Amino acid sequence: MFTKSSNIAGLLFILIISSVTVLAFQGLIGFSQRGADLALLEDSYFHSILLFSIKQALLSALLSTLLAWPIARAIYYYPNIFFKQTFLSLSLLCFVLPTLVLITGFVSLLGLSGFITPFLGEDWSLYGLQGILLAHVYMNLPFAVRAMHLQLQSIPDSSWILARQLKFSRWQRFRLIEIPSLSANASLIFGFICILCFNSFAVVLALGGGPQSTTLEVAIYQALKYDFNIPEALTLAWSQFAIAGVFFLLLYRSNSVPWLSKDSTEKRWIPCISTATKGIYLLIYTGTFVFMLMPLLALLPGVLAANYSIDLITDVLQALSLTLILGVLSAVSAMLIAYCIMLPIRNAAQRGQLRLQNTLQWLANHTLIAPAMVLSVGLYILFLPLIDLDQLGIIFVLILNTLLILPFAIQQIRARVLQYDNDYALLYQSLKLNFQQRISIEWGYIKPIMLSTFALVLLISMGDVAIFSIFGNDNLQTLPWLIYQYAGSYRIHEASFASAILLLVYFIILLKIERAKYHA
Amino acid sequence: MLDIQQLQIQLGDNQLNYHQQINSGDIVTLQGVSGVGKSSLLLCIAGFIQPVRGQISWQGTQISSQPIEQRPVAMLFQENNLFEHISVLKNARLGTANIGDTEIFAAAKELQITEQMQKMPLQLSGGQRQRVGLLRTLLRPEPLILLDEPFAELDNQTRTIAANWVNKIARAQNKTVLLVTHQMEDVDILADRNWLME
Amino acid sequence: MNKLITLCLATLISSQAVIASAATDTLTVYTYDSFVSKYGPGPKIKAAFEKDCNCELNFIAAEDGVSILNRLKIEGTKAKADVILGLDNALMRDAKETGLIADHQQDVSALSPTLSWSDKQFVPYDYGYFAFIYDSTKISEPATSLRQLVDSDAKIIYQDPRTSTPGQGFMFWMNAVYGDQTNTAWKQLASHTVTVSKGWWEAYSMFLEGGADYVLSYTTSPAYHMIVESESKYKAAQFSEGHIAQIEVAAALNTSSQPELAQSFLKFLISAEAQAILPVTNWMLPVLENTELPEQFSELVTPKLVDLSIETAVTERKNWIKDWRSNAAK
Repeated sequence: MFTKSSNIAGLLFILIISSVTVLAFQGLIGFSQRGADLALLEDSYFHSILLFSIKQALLSALLSTLLAWPIARAIYYYPNIFFKQTFLSLSLLCFVLPTLVLITGFVSLLGLSGFITPFLGEDWSLYGLQGILLAHVYMNLPFAVRAMHLQLQSIPDSSWILARQLKFSRWQRFRLIEIPSLSANASLIFGFICILCFNSFAVVLALGGGPQSTTLEVAIYQALKYDFNIPEALTLAWSQFAIAGVFFLLLYRSNSVPWLSKDSTEKRWIPCISTATKGIYLLIYTGTFVFMLMPLLALLPGVLAANYSIDLITDVLQALSLTLILGVLSAVSAMLIAYCIMLPIRNAAQRGQLRLQNTLQWLANHTLIAPAMVLSVGLYILFLPLIDLDQLGIIFVLILNTLLILPFAIQQIRARVLQYDNDYALLYQSLKLNFQQRISIEWGYIKPIMLSTFALVLLISMGDVAIFSIFGNDNLQTLPWLIYQYAGSYRIHEASFASAILLLVYFIILLKIERAKYHA
Repeated sequence: MLDIQQLQIQLGDNQLNYHQQINSGDIVTLQGVSGVGKSSLLLCIAGFIQPVRGQISWQGTQISSQPIEQRPVAMLFQENNLFEHISVLKNARLGTANIGDTEIFAAAKELQITEQMQKMPLQLSGGQRQRVGLLRTLLRPEPLILLDEPFAELDNQTRTIAANWVNKIARAQNKTVLLVTHQMEDVDILADRNWLME
Repeated sequence: MNKLITLCLATLISSQAVIASAATDTLTVYTYDSFVSKYGPGPKIKAAFEKDCNCELNFIAAEDGVSILNRLKIEGTKAKADVILGLDNALMRDAKETGLIADHQQDVSALSPTLSWSDKQFVPYDYGYFAFIYDSTKISEPATSLRQLVDSDAKIIYQDPRTSTPGQGFMFWMNAVYGDQTNTAWKQLASHTVTVSKGWWEAYSMFLEGGADYVLSYTTSPAYHMIVESESKYKAAQFSEGHIAQIEVAAALNTSSQPELAQSFLKFLISAEAQAILPVTNWMLPVLENTELPEQFSELVTPKLVDLSIETAVTERKNWIKDWRSNAAK
């Protein structure tokens, strides 16, 4: 009884989100009356974009994962390290940071007149592959650290107790306990970061430095922007979709990487480390802490130099409220849809229908690999002649934001709800609970992950500028858009101020949720 | 009467066959070596496993085609009988809407777990948890009760108390009970019949 | 919360309807974002025009000039606008190909002779020369020609010709000056280019943060700093070969339901009143001859025009872009 209606609800949503993507592509195809420009596939320019996209994605993922490892170990083996909770919250912040804010900070720090640049030697330039990698690592390394740290924490006490009893050497502990624990997730972390960086847009656009550093999504933007060269854009879009899809299938396979759960209670049986090792870990940890903080601190000089006025404050606060409203709406929608979509997936899992389960998961997550540019522009082209987008565009901002954060929501709740079924499916079915009872018991179990996922997707959606730039409306401005506007009319310091406010709100939301987890 | 007709279940590579009739109101113990299919039979009667062929009837109605939620069965599993994140009392109230807290506490008193009712399952020992599960399963309205190794975690003394309580409740309410166990003591206290599976 | 938003939207939509039916005509103008920003020309232009026209001026903003054109291409005859404002001279030809541009009926004789304006459909409303801006406290001897700048090792930021009108203007400039040698020039420039940014403000803000020695902008950019910030250290470098001009234009659409109102708006744009507003809000030069400008404008460089017809530039654009993207790669 529940199974049928839950299947319908889930499948309906999967159908809806798939049709949005189809509509978007149709918008583009229908407009140009020609299909994709296949001649482009032989152009050497296309090859260089392709190569570059893949190269920077793989390198970013590799660097993030490799560097995250010693940091995660440092926190794990030195559990009382200073400000650990702040560090972990900051890690979350780095992942959701609006790219606009990040780039401003980076430029202040490492640009030609950056604070640190004098120490970096003659040849240093922020713009180019190195800048892109730096920004990508900044955004993804902390995520990898959290994920690996959590993974290490799931090593049961009994393993360490056994290790002590068996008098394991350091190497044995490493090889037989640590490595198996991490290796399961390592490829998932790597794959996830790879996909995110492959689809990276704003960072490449701002820090690329020239035509040599172009990714597929940037190339789509350039094709659509001036020439309105839709056939070229389509070729690029299909290529991106295809390759990201391959990455997805090979490396990631939509398994979730847990990284949001709270830091668990004291483990008493973790091997003790020597003072020398402690010192090294402290160094690594502090270095990472500083690395994460600096671009944010670099905003301060701009904040102090701004021209403050009532107007500025009102505008910023108004924009902030709109951002919060839109953010909450899309986050709530995304959570609801994610939950519903998981229903048929859970049913399939319960019945052991693995292939069905994987197909549904792939469909549900596909907006992760769909080019966001294509979705936005495609829908714009399709709907502009049909409805008054100047008034109703905000609805599309909502819809597209919800769609783009949906895969994150699904990934995060997936493991927990499947685990719930694993533990209790037999029980709740045999107890013949009514709908209300089932919901309330399940909610008690999944509430922590639902809340933290809500915060995560809220923050991600609050940072949107790209979708708003296409569908937004000048009478209603979101805060990121306001920042963009300030910067665009010579008002750089005001932009810094607005960025700082946005950051502050981000940090408050993060802390509230992390604290809620502690009490959950 | 519970009528199991030519029931065949596929478990991995093995085919398990059952054919039995059990009278209403009887308490039947199920014994056999590991892997012979005792739990599988219970799960099949409850509806979690679909048989390859054959059927199960209760009081003349075929239940093997019914969904889980409609079967007149209350089952106690080998593990995971309590929701860890809600209190023991709340756990006991699930599925027992037919009775009030007074009866729950009366039963708890007999099973010597009164003090555990307000706690969280995490705080209970294995034996206490099992008794809570037992309490709830026996107090449910369903006429057919399936118990999968219900006394496994109990020491000898508590075991006897629990077994006697099951006996008392089952007889008083005319429940039909199918009970998987490895201990002959349980058979002695409870069973009208012992079904030895090969 | 959803209901609240729907309610707000419904109120918004119905109030628009009420206003529209309240017997004042509405003139809808497509323009670009920075035009209608609070510090841009939009609010003042709107106030000034509405004072006399007994109408309502409704701006609908797209990201930039090119987006306006793209929107026209998508909407075709269903375009909502009566007037489009914000394309530049390089986009005129493409715009005309949509078949939606109406003839202007304006008298352009009072416009500055430098423009020698002869187009029958588009009306210019301001213009500027592209130029490289530098910090005069850091550079005492700026480059005096484009060739000198390219051959030097000064750090430069410019914009992507595929996504930015200044960037495109620069590409025209390079081709006009170097002709067949442009590819070599791009390679030479690439060796000291800090970055090629997506749009004007990314480049300019990086320059202001100290990211480069020169940034591609307009000759009028220093006026902003002088007037608003009382800062006179930013100056434009004047090149001997001449500069490229960008002329911003407006036109009425032949699908408009308010043709007279549209024409009166075009007339207003080139009137003394509007022309006095534009320089200090849009930071471009007025097209009307003898418009009075703040004194700081007299300190701006007034370059000569480089010899390149806009027709040639627009025709060669696609090839020039291909050349650029292969040769400007580092």
